[in-house]
Amino acid sequence: MYEIDSKYSAYYNEIDPKKRLVILDSLPEDEADTFVREVYNDRYSDHEGKGRKNIDWWLWRCICLQILYGRGNFLRRFRDREISTIKAELRMNDADEVHRQHLYHEYRNTCRRYLSTCRSGNYASRFMGFRQASDEEKVLKACEDVWQMSSGVAKKTGNSEAMKFWIEAFRDELYDYDDICRDEYKRLEEE
Amino acid sequence: MNENKFAAAFKQNAIWLVFIIEIAIFAYFNPKFLGLANIVNISRQVSYYGIASIGMTFVILIAGIDLSIGSIIALVNVVCAYLMMNMGWNMWLAILISIAMAILIGVLNGWMVASIGIPAIIATFASQTIFRGCAYLLSGGLPIPGVVLEHPTFGFFARWSLNRWGIPGDFGLIPICAIIMVICFAVGSFILNKSYFGRYFYAIGGNEEASELSGIRVNKMKYLIYALSGFFAGLAGIVLLSRSGSAQSTAAIGFEFEVITCVVLGGVSVAGGIGRMSGVIAGVLIIGSLKSGMIMMNVSEYTQMVVQGLVLAVAVGIDCFSKKRQSN
Repeated sequence: MYEIDSKYSAYYNEIDPKKRLVILDSLPEDEADTFVREVYNDRYSDHEGKGRKNIDWWLWRCICLQILYGRGNFLRRFRDREISTIKAELRMNDADEVHRQHLYHEYRNTCRRYLSTCRSGNYASRFMGFRQASDEEKVLKACEDVWQMSSGVAKKTGNSEAMKFWIEAFRDELYDYDDICRDEYKRLEEE
Repeated sequence: MNENKFAAAFKQNAIWLVFIIEIAIFAYFNPKFLGLANIVNISRQVSYYGIASIGMTFVILIAGIDLSIGSIIALVNVVCAYLMMNMGWNMWLAILISIAMAILIGVLNGWMVASIGIPAIIATFASQTIFRGCAYLLSGGLPIPGVVLEHPTFGFFARWSLNRWGIPGDFGLIPICAIIMVICFAVGSFILNKSYFGRYFYAIGGNEEASELSGIRVNKMKYLIYALSGFFAGLAGIVLLSRSGSAQSTAAIGFEFEVITCVVLGGVSVAGGIGRMSGVIAGVLIIGSLKSGMIMMNVSEYTQMVVQGLVLAVAVGIDCFSKKRQSN
């Protein structure tokens, strides 16, 4: 459904921003090249203008979506405004067919980068890091996190249709992450 | 869907229901519990718990802990009183120096946790011992009395109240310390809900490595959070000194556990990344009312300790149980 030119495969499989740029620079230019570069620059630039380096703005927005999922309803107005901003920043409203294909893979790449952190020692630990989580616990927590920052927040804020594309990318990436993710994701959806 | 929303809203605010039930039980057994004098007394009593719990909330949100706040309070008590009484310093300067010292202790905790990599529980336990010892050394183990007698203005922080015209003084309805607590909670709530720093706290508590990759300077934030914890503990120390009127190096022993109880009872997860300031306010009010209610029902001090320990165990137990149920 979101098939793209195979020359981009290595670019979308790589999660390290510097290596991605090297791959991107080595690719022959085509019509999509300008858009892919634009997205790259957008994703790894400091939108707050604080001069910070090594930013992954899209990954940060994923985390923000998860935080928004955990918020109570009394700040609904601010939450909805922020969701709109995030949707615009992540280009969820882009209707161009070729752009959407590339965005789908960029979203999956963002999700993959998040999931790459979910195997670390501290992740999902309890009691101030004294009790380390088992591998299975980490995978289950990762499922919950990814669900919250995609389908969960969309459902909670009534944006399921507007964020459909984003949800699909995150779900597909999660299904490839571990065998138990499919069942866990379905369970979370039903709950 | 509506049922789910109702259930979620109920779950989020269940702590307030617990508070109401608790009030109803104490009021049933002792009608004076809801009297104005007791309410004013509770608000005075919970003020320094409330102020200190804000810093602790930030620390627990990043999956850390600060066991040094009781010692910070004792040291702030002793240093502030020492500067005013033994060295004749100006009251405001003494307060500023004491709070700056509390912030520096917080920075030291942040340095041990973030830069050296010592687990928070060990690092802050070491600080607890070091600074309690410093308080004993400075005071020689003896109290420094007469702070409010010699500096009546110092009573402003805990002894003064606002009268019906809003003028502060010795007699009035709304204690100044309760107003300070409300302002601190408003600031804490603003930081958590409306500022980027609040986001960073949740993000670091939820997934530290992802936060680092997304561009947050995690170590710098840890310094800031422990410094904030030190600041709020320092402020709580000033309020306590104003209330007691004399500095004691033995002040606030075990205080950190009561504050942790308030925070965890308020729904802040010991795993980090989850919690709201409104829940912490409820937790503080529950513990304050519980203490006051037990005193009014003539429950012995030892029994009160047992009850408070049980409340902490139940609060952490519920948090762990809900996590375990999720993972099952």
